[in-house]
Amino acid sequence: MTPPTSETKGVKRRDFLKVLGAAGAASASIGCGQEQVEALIPYLVSPDQTVPGVSTHYATLCRECSAGCGVVAEVRDGRAIKLEGNPEHPVNRGALCARGQAALQGLYNPDRYRGPMVRQNGQLTAATWDNALTLVRQRLAGQSGSAVRFLSQHEAGSFGLFVDQWMSGLGYGTHYAVDAEADLAVQAANQAEYGAVWPALDFGAARLIVSIGADFLDGWGASVPQQLSFAAARAKLTDAPRFVYIGARRSLTGLNADEWIACRPGSEHAIATALLGASGGASGTTLAQAAEASGLTEAQLQRLAEELSATRPSLVLAGASTPDASLVAQAVARINRALGNVGTTVKPAEAILSFGPTVGARELEALAREMEAGQVQVLLIRGANPVYTLPKATRFAEALARVPFKVSFSSYPDETSELCDVVLPDHHALESWGIAEPARGVLALQQPVMEPVFDTRPTGDVLLELARDGTPAAPGRFPWMTYREWMTTRFPGGAAGLTQALANGLGQGTLPTRSGAPAPAPGTQAPTPLAGDGDFFLVVQPSPVLGAGAGANKPWLQELPDPVSKICWQSWVELHPSVAERLGVHNGDHVTITTAAGSLTAPAWIYLGVRPDTVAVSLGQGHTAYGRYAQGIGVNAVDALGAVWNGAGQLALTQARARVAKAEGHSPLVSTEGSARQHGRGIARALTAAQLAAGVPGEVHHEFPGGPPTEFEPGLRSPAANDAVGELSRTDPRALGMYDPEHWSQMTARRWAMTIDLARCTGCSACVTACYAENNIPTVGARWQGRSLRPFHSADGSGWDTRPGANILKGREMSWLRIERYFEGGEDGESDFETRFLPMLCQHCGNAPCEPVCPVFATYHSPDGLNVQVYNRCVGTRYCSNGCPYKVRYFNWHGYGEPARRQYAFPEPLHLQLNPDVTVRGKGVMEKCTFCVQRIREAENVARLENRALQPDEFTTACAQACPSRAIVFGDAADPNWTVAHQVEDQRAYHVFEELNTFTAVVYLQKVNHPATGGTR
Amino acid sequence: MSRRRSWVLVPAFFAIALAALGLSAYSGASSSQGFAPLQPVDFPHPVHVQQLGMNCLYCHYSANRSPDPGIPAVGTCMGCHTIIGPNRPQIGERAAFRSAPLDSLHRYAPPGQPTAWQAIPWVRIHKLPEYVRFPHMRHVNAGVTCQTCHGPVQTMNRVYQFASLNMGWCVNCHVRGYSLSEGLRAAGDTAGARAAANEAPRKARYDCSVCHY
Repeated sequence: MTPPTSETKGVKRRDFLKVLGAAGAASASIGCGQEQVEALIPYLVSPDQTVPGVSTHYATLCRECSAGCGVVAEVRDGRAIKLEGNPEHPVNRGALCARGQAALQGLYNPDRYRGPMVRQNGQLTAATWDNALTLVRQRLAGQSGSAVRFLSQHEAGSFGLFVDQWMSGLGYGTHYAVDAEADLAVQAANQAEYGAVWPALDFGAARLIVSIGADFLDGWGASVPQQLSFAAARAKLTDAPRFVYIGARRSLTGLNADEWIACRPGSEHAIATALLGASGGASGTTLAQAAEASGLTEAQLQRLAEELSATRPSLVLAGASTPDASLVAQAVARINRALGNVGTTVKPAEAILSFGPTVGARELEALAREMEAGQVQVLLIRGANPVYTLPKATRFAEALARVPFKVSFSSYPDETSELCDVVLPDHHALESWGIAEPARGVLALQQPVMEPVFDTRPTGDVLLELARDGTPAAPGRFPWMTYREWMTTRFPGGAAGLTQALANGLGQGTLPTRSGAPAPAPGTQAPTPLAGDGDFFLVVQPSPVLGAGAGANKPWLQELPDPVSKICWQSWVELHPSVAERLGVHNGDHVTITTAAGSLTAPAWIYLGVRPDTVAVSLGQGHTAYGRYAQGIGVNAVDALGAVWNGAGQLALTQARARVAKAEGHSPLVSTEGSARQHGRGIARALTAAQLAAGVPGEVHHEFPGGPPTEFEPGLRSPAANDAVGELSRTDPRALGMYDPEHWSQMTARRWAMTIDLARCTGCSACVTACYAENNIPTVGARWQGRSLRPFHSADGSGWDTRPGANILKGREMSWLRIERYFEGGEDGESDFETRFLPMLCQHCGNAPCEPVCPVFATYHSPDGLNVQVYNRCVGTRYCSNGCPYKVRYFNWHGYGEPARRQYAFPEPLHLQLNPDVTVRGKGVMEKCTFCVQRIREAENVARLENRALQPDEFTTACAQACPSRAIVFGDAADPNWTVAHQVEDQRAYHVFEELNTFTAVVYLQKVNHPATGGTR
Repeated sequence: MSRRRSWVLVPAFFAIALAALGLSAYSGASSSQGFAPLQPVDFPHPVHVQQLGMNCLYCHYSANRSPDPGIPAVGTCMGCHTIIGPNRPQIGERAAFRSAPLDSLHRYAPPGQPTAWQAIPWVRIHKLPEYVRFPHMRHVNAGVTCQTCHGPVQTMNRVYQFASLNMGWCVNCHVRGYSLSEGLRAAGDTAGARAAANEAPRKARYDCSVCHY
């Protein structure tokens, strides 16, 4: 600083320059200067039938589970950006579950193998295809017979046939197709009793549904068609079937039941046989014996048996995971026969053909023993991950080490492929060809929707190349150059038929079944009580979100709260409240479960929906490999399981008693739930079928003065807001602008609105993932994304909080749409309770509390009824979020959309999935549900381009499109031609917090309960 | 300098910064208006549009059916320029000459060797921020001539950004309306402009959510 002197006058040159420099810097930073110069890269030759900036749609198949749903991939400028159900596909009829939506994050997974890998000096290192294939050829040469085995993840359709043909054509050994998520016991029993592996289940034809552990909404069987049928059945309201769930733990399916009968684990067989006896079938168990075995009262079972014989038709389902599951499934199939349900609610003639034949863990254990004995020289593995899914007692990893040469075709670095010698990464399903026969006579086509992301090759092509030269194949035996060629020869009509089927992904014809493939048979062993010592039964269930673990590497699925527990990025142990009290355990305290097979430690979650003598853990987490999003998160529940199989050879997930003890440590639950109770707020409402029939309005919470609660007037203003006085009441057209009903733009003619039918909603959360996919919502829970709240006090002083889900612990999840789950009743810990699911999103209030508090007009109400958030106006005061009574506004804390940041949510190439129609929000911006305004504008643009008016129900939002319950209806409530305009007039319609005069555009239709006759709830 | 006078610097700084802010907001200083970069291929719009009479949509082929106007594939250039090469022989009174722009094209796309073609890394001139949606087809189909926003491209030997592309510039047209007559005049269609002289300006919706989402 210049020393002060009294002589100097005027501004000195140096001071002048200082001011000038500072002002220049200020104006430069304000002006932002020139945008970074980008290049515009043209095509070399433009592809036919594509228009830049306009999506192309390809019909293909979803391979995330075995069900074989049809999807339509939206491809923009050569990149798949969204998956939706194929409306013409017979299995899923347009709907798609969360796992199907997340297939895109498998395609663009940053941890995918980017090219072939070869083990060198103990490490898998990148290699060329030529080198890798030469190596495989060398090692295959001279091997024959059962020295070469093939282990593949079962997928519906032709690939299993192809591998069979390849193996037998080259004279190799067994091809094991496995499916860790398949219920082999039920499949085998169905085949034996109904003559179909997976008969279609018609929930709508039933008057009573009884599920003995069959979690048909959690991923058991073909969950999308089952959910479509179940939701349609429940939408019959007063005529809907009553649903009783029998099981030790209430799964998502169980939470949708009207009544939960909490039987002791392992007693399912006694209950099933007793019900069989009561239904007129041959049975050796009386209701009294079953009551004793199951810990229930005889009256309870008596009432169920009576209801079952009095209510016809009914639908009884078995899905027990005990060692005697095959016997349960057999008994249940006989109950259905005795009650005359076969052909009515269980329809073998309309079977889903996607399942089987597959082998279970028992056969893989036998394979492991042969591998240990040195009988296997080369093992080829595609898709399956037995090192993760099999219990440690099978010693599969150790056995694998004894195989001299292991080849993996895995796309991802999973636990099994990491132990292999060569990795020849397969194309992702969205890059591959295939066919399946999901329903009899219907061929569904799988076609590549885009160029491969990485240097991968389809396994079928690789196998053909291996067969062509080097190996002892007769030259004429494999004349096809590619798997596609082979497939074309099997497609009715050949290449022409295939081309024709490409348009909608469907053709007519049948595929041969895999003859000679080992198939599970229903077991004959006697039911035995669960073994082991300890006061508790351990129940392990597949996760409805992650399955048996395959979903764990997709951040959308990690971030999707479990529909039951609302916990994400974590494993948890479910404890009954009374047990928690006895052990002195609170939510998040670690507990250790010890069985004869092993032990696991995880934080506790206190849950009403498990029996007091039972603890439950979900599968899916605890990966030791499988990429950055899966590795090191939670525990693998299989670690506590021994090599116990059910009659069909499948791993028994409920197999033993366990000791449970409080352990050291506490991990806060990464939960998106505020409270599991409504505290009288009337958020999720319900009424009974009897009340509905009698015209009782159900739970009415607060009456408020003003217009009727479901009035939707065209245009901006709710009746309340129209009551404005003083200056705000000016109504001259100049002041109103586009809000003037007479304005030439006619924008006020519409009122976009949504109805959500809680009688249909099952809480499956497919809509949440669809919203993430459509709206570029960042996931924030990965371990490197967590900023410590007190930057200089984090564990390692780095300022980073590396616990999985650290941002979510601070309430910083970004889920524009969330499913709230509320429990009703059961406060005493003993009586039955009810669960209500409620999708909560921006309510687009006509009189929104968020709008007047925004100091910069970044949120306001558009003339067509949207509550708009303008990102470029937002300065991040978060006043709007404080004002919102629904808590549906989400603040972008860390710049998840900025590649340079550690918190970047779309690491290359995940960013290729981003929807180009939606802004990727930057740091410091409030964001929320937009009612998919990009779809509204796109539909308006298309209509204008075609010189026509918007048609009613022409388009819908991403959540409504995906919903496998068809619970969400979107449209223009001011135009009576749209479905939503009628739905809002429904007797069951209500607004959440209508006493706040928010005049929301989201209308909920009350849930309808079906209590037992004489029951209150 | 006295201690008192050094305090004068603080308000002076703010005054100048404020003036700079005002200037930048209302002068278009934050815009890339006038940006005229050198392009990898020295493409002469006047030759193609004025001399040869090609329609804009021949190369910018999706401007009337997509939000994205489309830039021509290298194959589109080479459809003609495989035959029309850089060497022009003497034709009548027109002297022989060698075309440097065509030489630069053929460096990226040697004629007769499609496998050796490379994409031309054009420098992007018109760029809206990522939070703005600009559907070209809505404007083109409403009769907005290309020149209304892009200026007299038909006369530009080197293309520059004609308009500021600032929001005020967009909204002005949406609120006051687009004059077909002026648009046609800008496109050089004086007869059409005269015929459309009495047409009412065409307005467009100006709600935030029309463009920002």
